[in-house]
Amino acid sequence: MNTTLVVILIIVAALFVWFVSIYNNLIHMIEAVRNNQKQIDIQLDRRFKVFESLIEVVKKYMDYEQSTLSKVVALRSKAVAASNAGDEKTRIEAENGISKIASGLNIVFEQYPDLKANQNALQLQEEIVNTENKLAFAKQALNDSIERYNATKKSLFESFVVALVPSKLDQNFVYWQLSEQTVADQEKYTVKL
Amino acid sequence: MSKLDNYSSSAPDWRLSLQKNQKNTIKVIILFFLIYTAIGFIFDLYLYDSMHQPVNYSDLIHYSVVRANAPILPLSTVALYLVTFKIFPIATCVMLVIALFSLWITYAFHRGLMMLGTDYQEITADNAKSLEEKQLYNVVEEMKIASGLGFMPKIYIIDASYMNAFASGYSEKSALIAITRGLLNRLDRNELEAVIAHELSHIRHNDIRLILTAVVLSNLILIAFDIIFRSVLYGRRTRDNGLVFIIILIRFILPVITLLLMLYLSRTREFMADAGSVELMRSNEPLASALLKIHSDHTENQEAYNQQYSKTPHENVRRPSYFYSPQEAGITFLGSLNSLFSTHPSLEKRLKALGIVQNKT
Repeated sequence: MNTTLVVILIIVAALFVWFVSIYNNLIHMIEAVRNNQKQIDIQLDRRFKVFESLIEVVKKYMDYEQSTLSKVVALRSKAVAASNAGDEKTRIEAENGISKIASGLNIVFEQYPDLKANQNALQLQEEIVNTENKLAFAKQALNDSIERYNATKKSLFESFVVALVPSKLDQNFVYWQLSEQTVADQEKYTVKL
Repeated sequence: MSKLDNYSSSAPDWRLSLQKNQKNTIKVIILFFLIYTAIGFIFDLYLYDSMHQPVNYSDLIHYSVVRANAPILPLSTVALYLVTFKIFPIATCVMLVIALFSLWITYAFHRGLMMLGTDYQEITADNAKSLEEKQLYNVVEEMKIASGLGFMPKIYIIDASYMNAFASGYSEKSALIAITRGLLNRLDRNELEAVIAHELSHIRHNDIRLILTAVVLSNLILIAFDIIFRSVLYGRRTRDNGLVFIIILIRFILPVITLLLMLYLSRTREFMADAGSVELMRSNEPLASALLKIHSDHTENQEAYNQQYSKTPHENVRRPSYFYSPQEAGITFLGSLNSLFSTHPSLEKRLKALGIVQNKT
């Protein structure tokens, strides 16, 4: 009689410990996803500031139009407004517009030998590459963390725990993605020299 | 002409590779734990076997205690009592306490151990002196974002012309990565990033902690067993039974077994770090290209690097953690182990795991 009670207590304790560890694990994963979402914001912000200063420098070497800078500023305002209004689609489009201008900057470097010969040019190129890379990796990290979370919450035993506390544990995150139209356009893209 | 011209690449399944290697790691850990408990058990058997009186008060109820005439418990009964905790397995518990204490000491003093004896400088966001150094910092920062690490690892450049890298650090906060000047000068940005991704993967997979724990535990196992062995050899209280024979036999097999387990663990974690690099870069080619460059560089400069590696003090501390094992190119250290036992998988195996196969011409 005594041993049966002890065994039952042990099983209940084990189940409780198991429940708590799954719960905590899922909470950590959700927070990681949120953090990675914010990381993208940070990188987008940094990119805007870097490009502002880059364009200032490039302007000195050639008649690089004032309009380019104002284009970047306009796109940026659009992106921020869309982000505040919760309009992810417009935000992504605006940020992609800035990316196109960034690639244009690189081509400018190639075309102006004075600029290219300048040691600073290599460092500026590195800045552009680094900035875009960090943004891309931030998006990748976000999607990776969403993948881990989704896979875990849908797994067999974890899904029981999620069903018990859905308000805290069941989140619907959206992967960072391009719209189908954008994907189709980019598939058709070729380099024009 | 790219290093990869003679190879063809297929998309690697890094998720599968990570899972497989994690399972292998768990098997090794369980084996280590079983060995540790078994050693403790044998120790206890020996201790209680050589005492002729019962040691629990409860035993007084069952046996009359007269020192010289006390009935000698058969070995199997001692074993049974130990397992059911009728006799307290004191040796196993003492060993456990010693293990925990040693691990704690190792964790606390581990920093700085890895950089011993090298000529190094730290790279921070502000002190980069050349484009390459700035690229190095940028590359580490990019991989830190991609891997979701909470802290930026410290970055060191070691002043040596051989190409190699390693990571160290007990937790994310104390993480560090070191690469040699030779590596920085000769790899391009992508290859450098792949190597950094491999090292950061060691950090985020907690490999340093794992290997250190295994090293401490296996050393404790060997020390503990040595104590048993010497007691058996010089003790006068032992009875003549199979236990003594088993102890002597294990004394010779045990170091080999723990060594093989450690090396297997080390190789498994290397595969896992390679897969982690592919996961971060989403491509296997930069890593493969870096591996091939480093390998051919080592083979070309075997003589010179042999000198450099051996004249840097405390190399043995770093050797298992390197990105590329110089053994592969035939460079061995003084007093190093038999080359059959290796801390790293061979180049071919690493490339194959990455999905890179040599073209048949």
